[in-house]
Amino acid sequence: MEIFLNLVISGVMVGSIYALVALGWVLIYKCSGVLNLAMGELTLIGAYVCLTLYTWFVKAIPQTTTAFMMALIGTLVIGAILGLATERVFLRKMIGEPVLSVIMVTVGLSFFFKGVVEFIWGTDTRVFTPEVFSKKPIPIWGKIYVDSVYLWSFVAAIVLLLIFVSFFKYTRWGLAMQATADDEMAALSLGVSAKFVYALAWAIAFMAAGVGGTLLGNVNGINISVGYLGLLVLPAVVLGGLNSVPGAIIGGIIIGVLQNLADGYLSEFTPGGVKEVAPLAFMVILLLFKPYGLWGWVRIERV
Amino acid sequence: MSWLPCGLYHEHYREDHAWWQTTFVKGKMLLLAIFAIVILPYLDLVAPDLGPYLLNIAVILLYTILAASGVQLLIGYCGQVTLGHAAYVAIGAYTCCLVLMHGPALAAMTNDPNPIVRTLAALFSLLMKAGLLYPAGIILAGLAAGLWCVIFGLPSAKVKGFYLIMTTIAGQWITVEFFITQYVSQIGGRQQAFTVLPEHFTIGPFTIDSDRKIYYLGLALVGLVVAVTANLLRSKPGRAWIAIRDNDIAAEAMGVNIVAYKLLAFFVAGAMGGLAGVYWLNFNYIISPEHFQWFWSLWWVGVILIGGVGSIQGTIFGSMFMVLVMEGLKALIVPLSGAFPELLDKFLFIKEALFGLAIALFLIYEPNGLAYRWWQLKNYFNLWPFSY
Repeated sequence: MEIFLNLVISGVMVGSIYALVALGWVLIYKCSGVLNLAMGELTLIGAYVCLTLYTWFVKAIPQTTTAFMMALIGTLVIGAILGLATERVFLRKMIGEPVLSVIMVTVGLSFFFKGVVEFIWGTDTRVFTPEVFSKKPIPIWGKIYVDSVYLWSFVAAIVLLLIFVSFFKYTRWGLAMQATADDEMAALSLGVSAKFVYALAWAIAFMAAGVGGTLLGNVNGINISVGYLGLLVLPAVVLGGLNSVPGAIIGGIIIGVLQNLADGYLSEFTPGGVKEVAPLAFMVILLLFKPYGLWGWVRIERV
Repeated sequence: MSWLPCGLYHEHYREDHAWWQTTFVKGKMLLLAIFAIVILPYLDLVAPDLGPYLLNIAVILLYTILAASGVQLLIGYCGQVTLGHAAYVAIGAYTCCLVLMHGPALAAMTNDPNPIVRTLAALFSLLMKAGLLYPAGIILAGLAAGLWCVIFGLPSAKVKGFYLIMTTIAGQWITVEFFITQYVSQIGGRQQAFTVLPEHFTIGPFTIDSDRKIYYLGLALVGLVVAVTANLLRSKPGRAWIAIRDNDIAAEAMGVNIVAYKLLAFFVAGAMGGLAGVYWLNFNYIISPEHFQWFWSLWWVGVILIGGVGSIQGTIFGSMFMVLVMEGLKALIVPLSGAFPELLDKFLFIKEALFGLAIALFLIYEPNGLAYRWWQLKNYFNLWPFSY
């Protein structure tokens, strides 16, 4: 039972990072209808940018927490700029093109970003030095322990999720995004600029992915495999339903838990690799029985 | 379909469906065949440096065409997007490899108590005596890859578009990263890579071991795949696929059994992928899961997008573009590496970034691909000087 609870709790913590990235994904899909396969590379870029900024700042400011916070803010700013640029240069021209073309543009972008990241930062694993969060396990309740890295990542992810959600609910820009996602024509006729909303969606996706990558990088160190997060997001959003923001958050957390449970209980029956494959296998089964996820819109097609 | 030159009319329906409709095209194809069959493989007699180099590029080109034609069939003609074709190529390669590695041992088990094993052993020893183990491996590889592709195509009965893309991506990771890496690679207790000696690739009296023979095998396989695709497309299954691609609900209303035809498309495409896998094994002699990463699935989709979706020439043009541009890039980088030595180490990353950029830019600025430009060019000359 303790093992089970431990697995579930650390799953929830990792899942909150997935939820953050999934939120960015769903946002792009909801607002502009782009199915983004470059999410993993966005997390990579964010993670490496944050790492670089952190190593710079930590030389100037001895206090690691302050330096990390500043690096994180810097990552958000750079992410927003990159997001706006990506949307402007590549995606804006693809509005109204067939779905496959748009998907393949994002695939092309993912290769481009990955190549650039590998070119600049190489392929060796890097870690945040000095480490930001200690790896010491913290007792939560009884004999259930959690690494403090996970706990802090969880807290950071939850705070960011709250910020993003309140942004959508209470600010003018957020409401414009909701309106566009709901009915683009109606939003246009009310004076909402669709181009602005698309650009904003990409900027937020870049920011969310960057923070997700940074948090995950704090847990495991940063290398190319952080980009695998981009694949794990897909089961999460399929589970939640492609166009549901709460669905993405809950889907992310469920996928995190499922992945941890599969790793804990199924690993002994296989030579290895369960952790990577379990979410995808789960997604295939889900697609066979409930393709529109928990809260996605069921599309009715007519000829 | 391009325009016919002025003054040329068809008098039979048969002529409408002919592959090569004018004398000019027939002559062009003959020249192409002479170039491909005679000139290119024997170029090393004239140019001892250039010949083998070109032949090597041609072999890679043939492999790309083989792998991409399955993708073209699925995406370009049946409209079922696959982003996991490397999985089927891997299944084909591993099937053929296992047949070649363990076929002789199986053929020796003629005294096994199990009658099924005995029958198989007898069959394999017959094949070995006739020197047909490798052809049998090729056929088995095609079948296995086709069936594997059908398994991951099954969700296409229920979902489409993005959701189908998800299952094919999942298929890629489940097959290559899990099934092949963790299980198949462990057969025989030798981790990771499998190797097959060149002398095992025998078809009857011929051993496919020299570059020239490998090239001819590739040419034969590509010819087979192109002929099969072209003929399927002008018969009932091809028309059904195109109907499904254009509008699946309308196709179903017209009485096309869409599930059956989708699965048939998956089978044929998977089998073509399997042949590509066999060919990879034949010219590399070594396979490991790293050769069938997700990157390659996307690479082949990129090939058909650059070449032109829904066109057999498109596959070939796209493959030529990708292979030749990458070779050109290599030729450009090598002299530059004297000044910037780190370029050579990072060539792989440059290649990846440029590939991504090429796909994105092609889709934005040239969404119809190279085949469309070729079509325009042909029409321009066919209709010249009165193009209106």
